Amino acid sequence: MTHQTHAYHMVNPSPWPLTGALSAFLLTSGLIMWFHFYYTLLLIAGLLASTMTMFQWWRDVVREGTYQGHHTAPVQKGLRYGMVLFIISEVFFFAGFFWAFYHSSLAPTPQTGGQWPPTGILPLDPMEVPLLNTAVLLASGVTITWAHHSLMEADRKESTQALLMTIALGTYFTYLQLSEYSETSFTISDGIYGSTFFMSTGFHGLHVIIGTTFLTTCYFRQQLYHFTSNHHFGFEAAAWYWHFVDVVWLFLYISIYWWGS
Amino acid sequence: MAAFTISQNLLRHAFNLPFSFFSLQGLKPVVPTEAPPIIFATPTKLTSDSTVYDYAGKNRVPELQKFFQKADGVPIYLKRGLPDQMLYRTTMALTVGGTIYCLIALYMAAQPKK
Repeated sequence: MTHQTHAYHMVNPSPWPLTGALSAFLLTSGLIMWFHFYYTLLLIAGLLASTMTMFQWWRDVVREGTYQGHHTAPVQKGLRYGMVLFIISEVFFFAGFFWAFYHSSLAPTPQTGGQWPPTGILPLDPMEVPLLNTAVLLASGVTITWAHHSLMEADRKESTQALLMTIALGTYFTYLQLSEYSETSFTISDGIYGSTFFMSTGFHGLHVIIGTTFLTTCYFRQQLYHFTSNHHFGFEAAAWYWHFVDVVWLFLYISIYWWGS
Repeated sequence: MAAFTISQNLLRHAFNLPFSFFSLQGLKPVVPTEAPPIIFATPTKLTSDSTVYDYAGKNRVPELQKFFQKADGVPIYLKRGLPDQMLYRTTMALTVGGTIYCLIALYMAAQPKK
């Protein structure tokens, strides 16, 4: 029987990169078929295939790390670099939408009535639900830090409680934001204001849902004893992502909701 | 007494088991060198002597570590056998089949309208 004489992870050949790429193809052509021909089958197949790929790929990462012990210190360092680089790429993704917002709002054109908010647009009051949303996400940043410290101190009960509170706050944010969406007097088609507002806050909301899902996965893994007090990178990655989501909201709130109203 | 990590201490005190039973992440699990003392007249299972309040809360990580480290040549994505195979086949069928269908649909959509 041969054993490796290095600390790195030589991954088994896996079908998930291929199925992931093919699902992306199904998603994009599915969107085209839906937009042009009102045909949804391809899109549904793409969504299903990409969800199954993600589930199985990340399930395998847990098996390789927690059950097979492949996540040694150098491997974990690589995973940390990977998560940091991914979050940086997401920062650039949001930077594009903020660019669009500032481009239009700093120098309003005659098409907007020479003002921002444009003529006829009634923005949401930043001191009402948006301010509550800010408080909710800031509180969730506190609870996830609490959960992390409890985890590092091997306090199982408190880390579980704090993690559940974080998930609850994230869900509450999503619920509040959805109710705000039904309260707006403007839609995504209402000029540049509607476009920038809903594209920015919409993608942010999607990231809150993704972050909440990641945290929920961490909750189940915690219940299954996957995390130890000094090795729990999956949890740390979820916490980093969650803080990123919180910071994006702060920028959104200050730029679009407050300055832009 | 050897110095224990926090996680080892936690597990030791929660489950009252000897040091040799514990495996740290990143290391292969060590087979216990001594059995825990039999307290009851009838033989009991290993690790059942704990204070968890329901069976579903038992820590199954050590046995799962042993299971997934079996040197049977099966790749990680199929290691659990039948459920893994079903998921794999469904995903492949959906993606490969969907791609073929998609290429046909795109070809048809590119035809000039009559």
